[in-house]
Amino acid sequence: MAEKIGCFVCSGCGIADAVDVDTLVAIAQGEKKAATAMCHEALCQKEGLELMRKEIESHGLDGVVVAACSGRDKSNEFDFENVYVDRANLREGVAWTHEPGHEDTQMLAEDLVRMAMGRSKFASRPKGEPVQPNNRVLVIGGGMAGLSAALYASGFDREVVLVEKEDVLGGFANHLHKIYPKDMDLRAYAETDLDGLISRVAGEKKITVYTGAEVGRISGAPADFDVTINQGSDKINLKVDTVVVAAGWKPYDAAKLGHLGYGTTPDVVTNVEFERMAKEGKLQRPSDGKALESVLFVQCAGSRDDNHLPYCSNVCCGASLKQITYLKEANPQTACYVIYKDIRTPGHYEEVYKKVQKTGALFIKGEVESVQKGAEGGMAVQATDVLLGEPVAVEVDLVVLATGMVPTTLDTDVLNLTYRQGPELPEREYGFPNSHFICFPYETQRTGIYAAGAVRMPMDLASGMDDGAGAALKAVQSIELISQGKATHPRVGDLSFPNFALQRCTQCKRCTEECPFGALDEDIKGTPKPNPTRCRRCGVCMGACPERIVSFDNYSINSISEAIKSIFVPDEFEEKPRVIALACENDAIAAIDMAAHNSLRINPFVRVIPVRCLGSFNIIWVADALSRGVDGIMLMGCKYGDDYQCHFIKGSELANTRMSNVQDTLDRLMLESERLRQVEVAITDYDKIPQIFDDFLEKLEELGPNPYKD
Amino acid sequence: MSEPKTPIPELGDAVVQTGGDTLYQCMQCGLCVSSCPWRQVDGDISRDFNTRKVQHMAQLGVEGYETEEVLFACSTCGVCVNRCPRDVNAIDNMRVLRAMIAESGSIPQAYRPVIGSLKSQGNPWQGERSERLDWAEDLQVPKFGEGTQYLLFVCCTSCYDARSKKIAKAIVSVLKKAGVSFGIIGQEESCCGESVRKIGSEDTFASLAESNIKLFTQNGVKKIITTSPHCLFTFRKEYPELGGRFEVWHYTELLKQLIAEKKIEPKHALGKKVIFHDPCYLGRHNEVYDAPRDVIDALGSTRIEMDRAGTESICCGGGGGRIWMETPPGARFGDLRINDALAKQAEVLATACPYCTIMLDASNMAMGKEELQILDVAELLDQVT
Repeated sequence: MAEKIGCFVCSGCGIADAVDVDTLVAIAQGEKKAATAMCHEALCQKEGLELMRKEIESHGLDGVVVAACSGRDKSNEFDFENVYVDRANLREGVAWTHEPGHEDTQMLAEDLVRMAMGRSKFASRPKGEPVQPNNRVLVIGGGMAGLSAALYASGFDREVVLVEKEDVLGGFANHLHKIYPKDMDLRAYAETDLDGLISRVAGEKKITVYTGAEVGRISGAPADFDVTINQGSDKINLKVDTVVVAAGWKPYDAAKLGHLGYGTTPDVVTNVEFERMAKEGKLQRPSDGKALESVLFVQCAGSRDDNHLPYCSNVCCGASLKQITYLKEANPQTACYVIYKDIRTPGHYEEVYKKVQKTGALFIKGEVESVQKGAEGGMAVQATDVLLGEPVAVEVDLVVLATGMVPTTLDTDVLNLTYRQGPELPEREYGFPNSHFICFPYETQRTGIYAAGAVRMPMDLASGMDDGAGAALKAVQSIELISQGKATHPRVGDLSFPNFALQRCTQCKRCTEECPFGALDEDIKGTPKPNPTRCRRCGVCMGACPERIVSFDNYSINSISEAIKSIFVPDEFEEKPRVIALACENDAIAAIDMAAHNSLRINPFVRVIPVRCLGSFNIIWVADALSRGVDGIMLMGCKYGDDYQCHFIKGSELANTRMSNVQDTLDRLMLESERLRQVEVAITDYDKIPQIFDDFLEKLEELGPNPYKD
Repeated sequence: MSEPKTPIPELGDAVVQTGGDTLYQCMQCGLCVSSCPWRQVDGDISRDFNTRKVQHMAQLGVEGYETEEVLFACSTCGVCVNRCPRDVNAIDNMRVLRAMIAESGSIPQAYRPVIGSLKSQGNPWQGERSERLDWAEDLQVPKFGEGTQYLLFVCCTSCYDARSKKIAKAIVSVLKKAGVSFGIIGQEESCCGESVRKIGSEDTFASLAESNIKLFTQNGVKKIITTSPHCLFTFRKEYPELGGRFEVWHYTELLKQLIAEKKIEPKHALGKKVIFHDPCYLGRHNEVYDAPRDVIDALGSTRIEMDRAGTESICCGGGGGRIWMETPPGARFGDLRINDALAKQAEVLATACPYCTIMLDASNMAMGKEELQILDVAELLDQVT
């Protein structure tokens, strides 16, 4: 708790043109009892900062309210040792979005100062809990992604423990006849030299390799994981800090592709089986050993198909093109057909596509209608050629099904975590463990554990190597941050940590169930057992707890409650409604700031309160607001559902559930549930911000003033 | 559903081996189809002719493209070739497919007299060889001989077509005014063979080219001025492979130079709004865009541009053998160009190709837009010098 709080009001950047700053100083000093309060024309400049430092020292301040620009700006400047800093957003939140000199604009600015002063009373600067790391990364999987991860992590001076379930390193690349791009006359592109990679790993002293081994168990938390490796009958126990999961992929089960002839005859094979035939030098018809004169490739065999794999596996087009080169190099007269939905050949694969086209391989866009035993001993394939607008029929010696990739983890445990929420990484779309494909690659829902390679999403070997590098860097960065007591993605550097006042815990288990990152385990009775280094500091537990026992030093139920209670609520006859907007710091607050940068006018009756994530929304705040006469409460968070945009996976979704529960209660109390509204706001929705507020105010006008108003 | 077709890869291979060497590069994106001028007009050909599909059928070696309306629709304008992201030369591929049809004897009816005339008289217009020089009767055109710098090779069209003869005369007139050393060889000259090759008659082309190369060489020709961009194309791009290597100029290129050197100067201003239609074979096929414009700019006229000009020019409809094929009203590309010119309030639609002049004239007359004059660039220059 900050005991001595100073308030510094900036008059620069147009703030003094919009509001009476002297009154703000007077409110801080008088009504909110600031130890010191003053105004300066440019707080962020050298002179202003020196002034603040001097005041902090002379008054022994442990809390400072900077009433200036948005909290998203100048956080490095407004950072003072051992001092809690709060921000009242007078620039973006007032001066740049409201009518200068207007009574309502002044009231808004005054409230923002009151709210920041109130919040500060219940906040203190977090200290962080440094941890002594082992400086060791566990890499699960010795394929190209894993090998690359091991080399990168060791390159950053970390020890690496590499666990491979096969007896040799190399992973799936071992089963390939030729490797893109190294063996494919595409030398200008990235190297994929498997043997070189393996020998470099073998020669690296910092890497310990366990082949024919699996991870039996992982307990503990980042920077303090206890790992048991099972190698045959041996059990090896060691400590690691972070983990890279590069467990690879397996082909989609072709037994489910009976409609394409698989399983009815040996002359229909998968692309993986064909690769083995090529590697063994057996380019012959499986049923009778006849030399192959004609081969038909079926692309998207079970891919981009809602009955099988709805997604594209990225590599199958390239694989078939490569396999055609095997056939054409052995015998240029071999007739090759490709039935495809779309040929997808990004990057250097386009060169291969062009090259293979020139060999005379025939590409037919369409769907396979039937695959049957043919009249001449081969396989008779009929397909619709959509670009011809007619069916085509051909009899070939062999049909190759280009099947897609599924993550190994779909039905195989590789981590065996002793977490309350389960032993493996939570699955996202299509069973892949990644948390977000585009924004946050490598991240998973388990702190300190990163996914790389085809276990993360379908990809080729060269991409797998890049992916291994990326995940290794994440794993190393994570050791660095955790050892300093700091949070990892997405609140990188945050030193705060949730405190649990466990003597008041009722073992309801909401926090342990709702934590998106499995940070909390439970004892036998169901009391949460925090694991500080697994925590991402989102505050979902704080929002979940009905007993309100969870708090951060600088962010708590009480600090937000106090901000709400600090708002001056005019009586009903003044016709000045009040709305509080609890807005997610990640997107909604940024969108509101962007509205200011674009000089949009915002409704002056709204009081914006930043929250770490809407998942930290606690329903007590609704009671705090409504009992004080606030007319409406708006929750502004990220998109939720299958294509969620929440940085903490399901914070906005949880907030929505909680809000619905409160709305039921409000209805029972005959208080209109419409006074509570949640909106989804992406960072790009800044232009919609004024309308969002106006619409809500319009609804509240319909409902009339909060009956609890004084 | 219809009976399935069975691909015959050997047929595609044969196209590749006989000159359609980019056939397999086609990835069926269809950019050619949307680029094709046939999309701009109505009618059966517009509906049935699909460049992409022809390439695909040829790749697979399946039937369905052999009809006159499909295989012989292409006017070889080259827009698709220019735009193709895979460098497919659909014109070459189409030419090879036509040649295969020609070999089997099923060439379109309209082309039979053309080929007959070429074989017997050395021109496609059923004119007597002895009448080849009738256009030059009262002109005293110099005979090409020792010391003559340029051979003036007059396109058969301008030798026999009444309208087109005027272009030949105008070219002779301006060359004389500029004091250029030029001459014609005479009745022994034969058609360059460009268009007959496009309709698939490889043997006719080969004998015409052989005869011309022999004639030029015997007469000691080093430099040639062509009156048609089609002759320009075949002399520049096809004769060298057959042993005929000459320095070849389109007359607009030479006129540009003569104007720059002030060897020919306008005596008065034309004073009209002139719009230029880029012939496909001058523009896209030979990349000559500036020369005719520079000549127009020297006329003392206002030069304006169509929306679709330069590389984006729309074909007149006369290339690829279409000049000898009847195109129904409503499907004539020439109409598009008349409208393009009128949209810009042009008074003169200028061009530099005998085929273009014929096609544009035909459209202009059918549309009753006589207020628009269709003239060759040489005719305009002759008027003011």
